[in-house]
Amino acid sequence: MSIELLIPLLAAAVQSGTPVLFATLGELVTERSGTLNLGVEGMLLMGAFSGFFVCILTGSPWLGFVAGGVGAMLLASLHGLVTIVFLGNQVVSGLALTILGVGLADFLGQPFIGQKVAGFSKYALPGLADLPALGPIFFRQDALVYCSYLAAPLVWFLFARTSLGLALDAAGENPKAAKAAGLSVASLRWFGLLAGAFLAGLGGAYLSLAYTQFWTSNLSAGRGWIAVALVIFAFWRPRGAVLGAYLFGGVMAFQLRLQAAGANLPSSLLLMLPYAMTILALIAANLRKGRAGAPAALGVNVEPEE
Amino acid sequence: MLRRLLDRILPPRVFEERPEPTAVFEASRPPVVRLERIVKRFGAVTANRDITLDIHAGRILALLGENGAGKSTLMSILSGRYHPDEGRILVDGEPTRFSSSRDAIRAGIGMVYQHFMLVPTMTVAQNVLLGQEGGFLLAPRAMEARVDALAQRYGLEIRASARVAELSMGERQRVEILRLLARNSRVLIFDEPTAVLTEPEAGKLFDALRRMASQEKAIVFISHKLEEVLSIADEIAILRRGAVVDRMPRTDVSSKSELAERMVGRGIALQMGREPAARGEVVLELEGLSGNGLEDLSLDVRRGEIVAVVGVAGNGQKQLVETVTGLVPPEEGVVRILGREWRDFYAQPRWEETLAYIPEDRLGLATCPELDMVDNVLLTTRQGFSRGVFLERGRAAQTTTRLVEEHNVQPARPRTQAGKLSGGNLQKLVIAREFFRRPKIIVAEQPTQGLDIAATEEVWKSLLAARQGAGILLVTGDLTEALELADRVAVMYRGRFIDVIATDDEERLASLGLLMAGVKE
Repeated sequence: MSIELLIPLLAAAVQSGTPVLFATLGELVTERSGTLNLGVEGMLLMGAFSGFFVCILTGSPWLGFVAGGVGAMLLASLHGLVTIVFLGNQVVSGLALTILGVGLADFLGQPFIGQKVAGFSKYALPGLADLPALGPIFFRQDALVYCSYLAAPLVWFLFARTSLGLALDAAGENPKAAKAAGLSVASLRWFGLLAGAFLAGLGGAYLSLAYTQFWTSNLSAGRGWIAVALVIFAFWRPRGAVLGAYLFGGVMAFQLRLQAAGANLPSSLLLMLPYAMTILALIAANLRKGRAGAPAALGVNVEPEE
Repeated sequence: MLRRLLDRILPPRVFEERPEPTAVFEASRPPVVRLERIVKRFGAVTANRDITLDIHAGRILALLGENGAGKSTLMSILSGRYHPDEGRILVDGEPTRFSSSRDAIRAGIGMVYQHFMLVPTMTVAQNVLLGQEGGFLLAPRAMEARVDALAQRYGLEIRASARVAELSMGERQRVEILRLLARNSRVLIFDEPTAVLTEPEAGKLFDALRRMASQEKAIVFISHKLEEVLSIADEIAILRRGAVVDRMPRTDVSSKSELAERMVGRGIALQMGREPAARGEVVLELEGLSGNGLEDLSLDVRRGEIVAVVGVAGNGQKQLVETVTGLVPPEEGVVRILGREWRDFYAQPRWEETLAYIPEDRLGLATCPELDMVDNVLLTTRQGFSRGVFLERGRAAQTTTRLVEEHNVQPARPRTQAGKLSGGNLQKLVIAREFFRRPKIIVAEQPTQGLDIAATEEVWKSLLAARQGAGILLVTGDLTEALELADRVAVMYRGRFIDVIATDDEERLASLGLLMAGVKE
């Protein structure tokens, strides 16, 4: 493949990997604090709709972007209510959250189907955009992609260099130890859940405000589930999340190009490719041994003291 | 006769009058912490009754007692996990109420639990300083330096940058201790700290304890191991059945046997009036059983007799029971049950006229707390209620109703969950179930531990009655129980039977205390 074809492909990979990156980082934060939230798909769609709606209402794409995160947080707080307050089953509650989020976004978005929105347009970063190869791939994107470049290092910094990150990890690895150290596991888990939901919601808002820039039903197309899988692929590390998200984005962009080029393959088979790739990546990731695994108390509810 | 015998073995002065609630120690300074008339009940069981205890800075206080004597409950009260039902805690003379372990830690009281509360994926420094890193941004180097300095000061050898997952149990324990020291704890409580340690590690721990005491920390050391207590303690308090029965400075204890007698002591004095039963065939035969902590055990148990295995806990009783009941295969030597080799016997277990086991762990091993009484009865008797692949639940329910009435289990509703029964009633249910199997041999492990007097009496009566059809191996830490029930007493020490004595041999029984401490003339 020639370089003229490769660079646009990689640029497209970054673009389609961005929402998955936001969602994966979000789920990573939530799971590191000990909560399993399978409602990512629902949060993505609620984020996409909230972002779209607020952008239409106010005309500000930035307000819409933030609203996407807030919309997902509101949805996720139901999960917190069920699992952190009432100690309900995290898997069941997460699945219900996806069904609710998908249905709610679909229902609320019904009148807007096909409507366009003035979202984020591409903005070449002065200086960086002229770098050979890297410029066109990474620095001629929209502002939200640039935000996502910051998100991964921020998450890394949170866990590696702050006491809050350490406390979140303790809540996910051994809540009893966290409690013995005088930390409030419930507050930490609320923080992890809501911060993660905010990130997932940003990913949703990216879909409606930058990726498509119009509303249609099922915008996320299973990306939330991909994010759940990529957290495992990433071994709960931000760096792995970046790798996984762009890998998924790359295959997604590749199959779109292939379809556009009129490849003699059924389109449904091509559409399946990114998802099949995720399964393969997951298998490969689990074959590597001797790495730190899931947070030890992931999915385990914690009784409040006394 | 028995009473006289007991009086000879265990002079009654030890516990007939409870010590006054004043410090035995003439302390030059007031205690850091004073527990005053602490009472704690769990349902019908009184775990702590009227306990008064002073804890002094710079001293190591050993709490000695059998399992279930109330040591852990008392320390859980001190460390803020439980509230006492009565009594109060004075810190520096001020009455204090802890609503959680966080409050206790703030007051300078910390506990090193048997199960470490550490995050294995984090480093030593992160574990020690979790929750008090000193600022939002972490400075790993500075944290490690802080922990290293702390470790050095108390002689706790550890590398602060190591990951906890890579550490041995002894090193993990040091991390736990450092965590308390980093929080400026003045009272450090150790719950059976040597249980998870190797001998050299235990030695290092003791050095560290002395060092901490010399730097004005108050140490409370919970244990049932006599040697340890004698080698480390400045002061010893003995708990039995929830009460402090004795307190003394270490210097007042002349020998291990004296301590053993005071610890095992005499529980409740019931007169059972044991009728002799006719001896039958041999039902259990041990021949040179060794390995897995056991050494050359040989013993016969006949139908119609009760053989008690006594000794300080942790001398191989558990391994012996596990082997006889089929949980662990014998490594060396022969175990013959009802005339059949161990392997042969457990290859095709029968459900009735066989071996019945009454475990010490009533809620974990003997029953499923979530299941009702009928299902719990079915746990070991289901083969008796099977017709092909079908279970005759109706018949099982009728049988359970009958058993519950016969054995006076309260509440007498077979649909009650086992976990809702009190300890005594649960034990009666287990006994009813096991005796329903018409066993030929019964292994009863601490059958009355934690039970009140009435329940104890009923259990004893059941066991005596069961001799008609079975031989009984009674493993107990309660000497009274052994002497009341058994025909012979086998004293276990370090995995071997140091002696087997008939309970009508008064002369030799008098040396029980010495034997339990491993002394044999």
